[in-house]
Amino acid sequence: MGDLSGRVAVITGGSRGIGRAIAEAFLAQGAQVAITGTSAEKGAQAIHELNRPEDTHFIRADAKVREDCERAIDEAIAHFGKVDILVNNAGGASNHAPVADLTDEAFDDALKWNLWSTFWCSRRALKPMIERGWGRIINMSSVEGKVGKPGISIYVTAKHAVNGLTKAMSKELGTTGVTVNALCPGIIETDIVKAEGPGAAEAMGITYEKLIETFAQESATKRVMELEDVAAVAVLLASDIGGGITGSLISIDGGTAPY
Amino acid sequence: MGKLEGKVACITGGTRSIGRGMADAFVREGALVVVNGRNAEKGKQCLDEMGAGDRAAFFAGDASKQADVEGLIDFTIDHFGHLDICCLNSGGVLATAPVAQMSDEEWKLEVDWNLNHVFWGMRRALQHMIPRTYGRIIVTSSVEGKLGKPGIPGYAATKHAVNGLVKAAAHEVGTLGITVNSVLPGLIETDIVRETGPQSATMMGLPSYEAMLDLFAQESAIKRLNTVEEVAAVAVLLASDAGRNITGTMFPVDGGTMPY
Repeated sequence: MGDLSGRVAVITGGSRGIGRAIAEAFLAQGAQVAITGTSAEKGAQAIHELNRPEDTHFIRADAKVREDCERAIDEAIAHFGKVDILVNNAGGASNHAPVADLTDEAFDDALKWNLWSTFWCSRRALKPMIERGWGRIINMSSVEGKVGKPGISIYVTAKHAVNGLTKAMSKELGTTGVTVNALCPGIIETDIVKAEGPGAAEAMGITYEKLIETFAQESATKRVMELEDVAAVAVLLASDIGGGITGSLISIDGGTAPY
Repeated sequence: MGKLEGKVACITGGTRSIGRGMADAFVREGALVVVNGRNAEKGKQCLDEMGAGDRAAFFAGDASKQADVEGLIDFTIDHFGHLDICCLNSGGVLATAPVAQMSDEEWKLEVDWNLNHVFWGMRRALQHMIPRTYGRIIVTSSVEGKLGKPGIPGYAATKHAVNGLVKAAAHEVGTLGITVNSVLPGLIETDIVRETGPQSATMMGLPSYEAMLDLFAQESAIKRLNTVEEVAAVAVLLASDAGRNITGTMFPVDGGTMPY
């Protein structure tokens, strides 16, 4: 009997990376899990690899598109009967540049990908959670939601905004049985980091290897984080015993963030 | 196989309340535990209730006394062979007062009990853990480690201070397999809170002990106090392998009280 027996989770961006690791951890604790992603192929592969056909479901959805976000929640409810846990994990940023050279499009894209997606999915999932008197919203923020590196202001800004939304929502929902928290991991070399990292590094005036090294050296552990680190905290927050933790911005960053 | 199978832990203030919650949770996860407290009778009762046989032991001592804190670490290493997890949990106030009325005696007690105890324990534990390149240090701080209510200035100061110590120490031992974290619970009705709470409430300008409980509850988003079990669950996470990359963190268990 796992910590999440009987619970249904939606994890945006759940085919790979952090979202995938959380999906695996949730399944191991007895939850049923719907994952979303933009690639049907990667989604199908994930479902196959998770090897729990009755307890998993892939929903093709682009986190940057409102209709997709709302449809994802609706489809998860239609498939599994409810959504107890929402992990707003999809996120990232492209076309980094120092602010003086930053385009409107890059700024808007990062906000859509990280902030609007969190807002749209949460808004859609909330009413049923409140009606049932139980819910868990876990927002994927970042160490950059607390600190602020040069060259990646679109990511820093979006993640700070997610932290603010987290706090405000937690206060609104405090006595409804729904908790809202943000996870603030240090860098993990996920597919997205490998894909977008070189561009971010260039905007910061360094190489990709140096970017990874910079994040690692700022920590106390002098190494990058691992997927399992984040998944373990997600399980705690999602479980019944996590009901006393809300509005928190939890650092999983080897000692990087100062607060 | 529990999350702390075979790990050895010691816990100051471990016979009741938050420390006891940690002890119970650790034992459930397969750890060997030494609990510390001032009162031998409560210690015996604790061991009886825990029912962990020779997987648990009691060390009598006062966490505001250096020799006792260091003695606990030494006893644990001697009794169980080594130390993996050190929970520096004991703490509180005796006769708090606003700064202008605060006595030297109360200030010294609170500094010894809440801050120096953590330093003494951390230093002794690290001297053992560093050569072994493995360890978990978990300090019980408080929401008052980030906030600061009137009437409890020593408590707020020392709980802020231990957070600073945690951060600094974490960076010293970060590459040595040792994590150092604090947990920041909201108010929990511990024995000490019940004993000293009425006077604390008065010093905070509140009409009653119940009003003090209510103040803390109302400051949270969940409008209730936190529980021992909630804190213990976080302690298990930090103490386990899953917590190996969480360090220098001030982990909240406060129902949404703190703003950061």
